[in-house]
Amino acid sequence: MKKSLEKLLNKPLPVDPFKPQRAVITDVEELAPDHKKFTFAFLDESLAKVWDYIPGQFVMLTVPKAGEIPISICSSPTRKGFFELTVRKVGRKTKVLHRLKPGDVVAVRGPYGNGFPVGIMEGHNVLIIAGGLGMAPLRSLVWYILDRRSRFKEVYLLYGTRNYEFVLYKEELRRLKEREDIKCLFCLDRVETPEDREWADIEGLLTELIPQVKLEPSETYVAVCGPPVAYKFIGKELLKNGYPESQIFVSLERKMECGIGKCGHCQIGYKFACVDGPIFPLWDTKNLPEML
Amino acid sequence: MDFHIERAKILPKSNLWGFLEGLKGVAPLIAPVERGNKTVFSEVNDISDVTINYTRTVLPPKKFLVPYRRVRFTYSTGELSFSSNFKARDQIIFGIHSCDLHGISILDSVYLKESPDPRYLEVRKKTVLIGISCMPDDYCFCLSTGTAFPDGANWDLFLTDIGADYFVSIGSPKGDELIIELKELFRDIEREDLELYKRSTRKKKEAFRDKKLPDLERISQLIELEYESPVWDEEAKRCLSCGTCTNVCPTCFCYTSVDVPDFEGKTVKRVEFTTSCQYPYYSLVAGGHYFKPTRTARFRHRYYHKLVGYPYQIEKLGCVGCGRCSAECPAKISMVETLIKLRGADEKESGKATEQTSAGRSL
Repeated sequence: MKKSLEKLLNKPLPVDPFKPQRAVITDVEELAPDHKKFTFAFLDESLAKVWDYIPGQFVMLTVPKAGEIPISICSSPTRKGFFELTVRKVGRKTKVLHRLKPGDVVAVRGPYGNGFPVGIMEGHNVLIIAGGLGMAPLRSLVWYILDRRSRFKEVYLLYGTRNYEFVLYKEELRRLKEREDIKCLFCLDRVETPEDREWADIEGLLTELIPQVKLEPSETYVAVCGPPVAYKFIGKELLKNGYPESQIFVSLERKMECGIGKCGHCQIGYKFACVDGPIFPLWDTKNLPEML
Repeated sequence: MDFHIERAKILPKSNLWGFLEGLKGVAPLIAPVERGNKTVFSEVNDISDVTINYTRTVLPPKKFLVPYRRVRFTYSTGELSFSSNFKARDQIIFGIHSCDLHGISILDSVYLKESPDPRYLEVRKKTVLIGISCMPDDYCFCLSTGTAFPDGANWDLFLTDIGADYFVSIGSPKGDELIIELKELFRDIEREDLELYKRSTRKKKEAFRDKKLPDLERISQLIELEYESPVWDEEAKRCLSCGTCTNVCPTCFCYTSVDVPDFEGKTVKRVEFTTSCQYPYYSLVAGGHYFKPTRTARFRHRYYHKLVGYPYQIEKLGCVGCGRCSAECPAKISMVETLIKLRGADEKESGKATEQTSAGRSL
């Protein structure tokens, strides 16, 4: 027997990591077609007070009768007592979730995953690049930074989506744009209606916004979340503009059943998206096969 | 592991049945028994059913540690309270070959290293593992994977055939307790026994002399370098995506979890069942995207995970060379052959392998 193996068995039984905690839906907001933001509070008040997480982490949400789904947290850990999840209606379980109303009870376990390296980001510029629903986990990071604004240098938010109708957190982002301490640049794939025109800084892709960012690349950490197809182009553009590979972080998703590295589904190359990710340095996207 | 003489005993072969009877008196006994022309691990009521000289069982003993289908929780849809009536029982698994013991040690690392699963730990604490030595057949390649002998694995007792007797190595306090409990069946070790023991090790090694063995030197790098090799396509063409290889594997652990409501929708069972990375829906996510859409991608993933993934995740190869995936494959796909072909593409070795893969990616 090896020491490492002997140690594994000589442990007391841990608390069951699979057992979720009950949480009540306190608010549901329709953000865009098929996109809803749910606000939850743990029924156990003492848990609600201390429950902490890192921007970029996710929870396993039990939709009663339907099953468990992994969802990124879109609220910031700097605001305690509640948490928010933005969910697109895309499959069987999310369809059931979208039917739930305030007062309904769900079950939640987590938080899981590594989250963005916020500790390392402190003292640097932060460039946040969100595409479509990728805005959700990055909203957590945006508010985390804004609530601890003095610890960070310049902050940029680039956000691109289909058209104005699909813009998430419309009012919130409008107010962000008026703030001095974060620079917001928005783009839309198609600019057709007056609302589109009023919203968008440019018509086009996120890659076209990157050169407009006035930051010293070596002093900047970049957080990217969006559709995986975009990562290749965004990554290339960032490298072209001098951002160091080791300071670019992307968020990836896979099928997940457990969230703690036991079910095997979320493997990307030799890593598990649930425990080694979902936030990966850009280097991994080159190093691990079939990453994007 | 070095065997101190105090850490081993001799069990005369004539006492084996008495030993099994004794074990059965301590806890439910699981042992290899014959079913048709195959061998399986099964709980035994009558020890005369136990077969000692078998080559491999259809399924590895992991089914008694993590059942292939298990209910994690039951919850009521009303107040959403999760409960479970899970209870681990004491059990003794007898007759496990060295490769399977290593397989269990790999599962130990998977389930207990990070975010330990309390169920697995409870079962594992209550299970006694008793190994037995074996001789290889044509599918075995445990000599390549370093699992031909029980060293470095987690077990309680190990019986090595040394002719007229079994050389019983003691690997844990649990194992020692059993020996003390049944001490009249054992005798102390003598010099000659140690010599015979060494000879049996040599004999097993020699049995591999004429067998085809894969070279697992820098195997992780080989798989990565040959990631685009046409060998994957060639081999996957024969694959039926049936998932037999992963279901019989002693180290595979992937599972799917589904919530199954009863007819009235009042209580829901959260059921976990073994799945396979060879199934198309393994990587299917909501919205209809397949992360591993092709058979080649799934076929390659199994090798990649075993030989690159496990070494990163638990610092051990994920293959123990038991040969089950090759022996049970309905399409006769052999892990050893695939690895030899891949190595050929990589190192341009002489022989058939090179011809078959001459279009391999040049590096």
